[in-house]
Amino acid sequence: MDGSVTLERIVMRFGDFTAIEPTRLTIESGEFFSFLGPSGCGKTTLLNIVSGFLSPSEGQVYIGGEPMVGVPVNQRPTAMIFQNLALFPLMSVYQNIEFGLEVRGVGRTARRQRSDELLELVALTGSGDKPIAALSGGQKQRVAIARALAVEPRVLLLDEPLSALDLKLRQHMRNELKAIQRKTGITFIYITHDQGEALAMSDRVAVMSAGRIQQVADPETLYHRPETGFVAAFVGENNRLAGSVVEVGETLITLEVAGLGRLAGRAGGQAGLAVGQRAALYVRPEQLVLLDEMAAADAPATLEAEVESVNFEGAWRMLEARLSATGERLRILLGQGDGSRQSLAPGARGRFGYDPQQAIVLADDDSPRLDAETGEVVSGQPRESAHAASA
Amino acid sequence: MLRQLKARFGGPVAMAIVGLLCIWLIAMVVLPQLQMIDYSLRPNLLPDEVGGPRDHWSLTNYATLFDNRIHLAIFFKTLWSSVLVTVLTLLVSYPIAYYLAKIATPGQAALCLLLLIIPFWINEILRTFSWFIILAFRGPLNELLLTLGLIERPVRFLNGDAGVLVGMVYAYILFMVFPLYNAIESLDGNQVRAAHDLGAGTVRTHWRIVIPHAKPGIATGCIMTFMLAAGSYAVPALLGSPGSRWFTQIIYNWFFEGGDWNQGAAYAFLLLVLCIGFMSLVMRLFKVGLADIAK
Repeated sequence: MDGSVTLERIVMRFGDFTAIEPTRLTIESGEFFSFLGPSGCGKTTLLNIVSGFLSPSEGQVYIGGEPMVGVPVNQRPTAMIFQNLALFPLMSVYQNIEFGLEVRGVGRTARRQRSDELLELVALTGSGDKPIAALSGGQKQRVAIARALAVEPRVLLLDEPLSALDLKLRQHMRNELKAIQRKTGITFIYITHDQGEALAMSDRVAVMSAGRIQQVADPETLYHRPETGFVAAFVGENNRLAGSVVEVGETLITLEVAGLGRLAGRAGGQAGLAVGQRAALYVRPEQLVLLDEMAAADAPATLEAEVESVNFEGAWRMLEARLSATGERLRILLGQGDGSRQSLAPGARGRFGYDPQQAIVLADDDSPRLDAETGEVVSGQPRESAHAASA
Repeated sequence: MLRQLKARFGGPVAMAIVGLLCIWLIAMVVLPQLQMIDYSLRPNLLPDEVGGPRDHWSLTNYATLFDNRIHLAIFFKTLWSSVLVTVLTLLVSYPIAYYLAKIATPGQAALCLLLLIIPFWINEILRTFSWFIILAFRGPLNELLLTLGLIERPVRFLNGDAGVLVGMVYAYILFMVFPLYNAIESLDGNQVRAAHDLGAGTVRTHWRIVIPHAKPGIATGCIMTFMLAAGSYAVPALLGSPGSRWFTQIIYNWFFEGGDWNQGAAYAFLLLVLCIGFMSLVMRLFKVGLADIAK
């Protein structure tokens, strides 16, 4: 059963608006693949194109090598789990699960046997006769999974199905979804705006923004080697310091950042960087360390910042600080052992250092990126930081 | 309920609301009905015999219907034709309601609703007359069919029940479309998408998902249409032939041509019983309660 999905130059337009820029992508059979992006990035549109609810303006979708454009929804080898689950409220659990089998003309006893197997798979044995209204949120989730798996799809499409659950249950369902995917070997295509979900479950993740796939990679690579500024900012936390390239070394690139001087980092992205080009340095909060006076004197580059707030989160503390030189926001993650406590109170100044081998320099291109202050997507025209301009 | 009203409007206003409601119910619904029951149980007497020895209650007026085979036939024909009108109206209204609720863009839906409602700004008699003209032997419909070559000679549409059925389906379509629209509109679109996604075709999706969801709306629409059809006077009077008389016409004749209000009241009550019977039957068939219909 070949459950590979290939998107061949897919374009989707709604009037003048291009929801999906030309996209090429192959999802392997049996892969847990996620599309990750903020709302409005086109990920749901892409899912609807695979499921058949939308027909692409251009391009072709292949499932298991067969072209799918023009094949109606009810004849595609896909099944969808909707964001609101869309269970049939007037039917029992059994009737929900057996709906797809009934459509396919499967006999009564075979249907019941299959749905009992599926109820066992999703750990709901014995709940078949219950009405949908009698189920808890997590149980409804499982019924939705069983109902979709009942039709033996080659590809299971999941449209943010966990978003309605509370945190604990969501984390539990993540593991369960992953386990079910392993057990069944079905290709899962998962849509989410929650990077935690995408990183925890997926074999590979496609990060999307403004109708364009920014990067396709496994979660580790996505986190440690982002290729665009958008991915660097969207996946995990990142501090962004924009400047221009002054020196291109063998592995390190040095930037001149207004107010902060020369800062170096590893070259990221696929295109090389040239001297004079606009670029940004990305340092993750956990890569920043608090330096004492001695270490600060020796460090090649330090960032002086004033702590605004300290959020204690158990195993670590997240510091919100502002750079003394530019007023830009800096987030620092400190473990239990790091730094002395009194120096970290709001209002305190600290010097923070980082290892240039860990930080990443990416070209400041036109791709959209996240605004550090608001967390919203902004169109990526390079721009001077408002704070830098006023400083 | 009184307590809620009190909390919201204060004592005097709450009492006024409840009082007015009671006055309306008693003076305009209960008392006239009781008066009619009283009428229906008494014989039709000359004024000076009223209150005399012959003025006592009996079921004679009710028995008249069962003794008169023509009246009984018309009674059952009215029942059957009203059921037919209800079914036809449902068949015509369901696609319209589904289109309005789930397919049309807001602009299209507004336009479509406007087109449905505008004819109802005109008096029912006039609307029915326009069907009389359309369906006439030398009318535009026959002309059109002749020109298209679909028929060779004009058809007498108004000879029999066809004209009455067409006129009634048209007259009561809104009473079916709106309850259906309300019911279908509240259906989550993902339910339909999920059914398609699981392999169901259009017919099965409607039969298993949309219609069960719309059941209270279907029941409401059917009850309203049936009541209006069974109680209609203008449409059968204008579009019906002598061979397609409606029970309401018989009642009218007792009251205003026979001058026998007592007999008319008895007939009217039998029609009421018929309607209540139909309503309970539909509610039982669709497994809906009064509360579902009141929505």
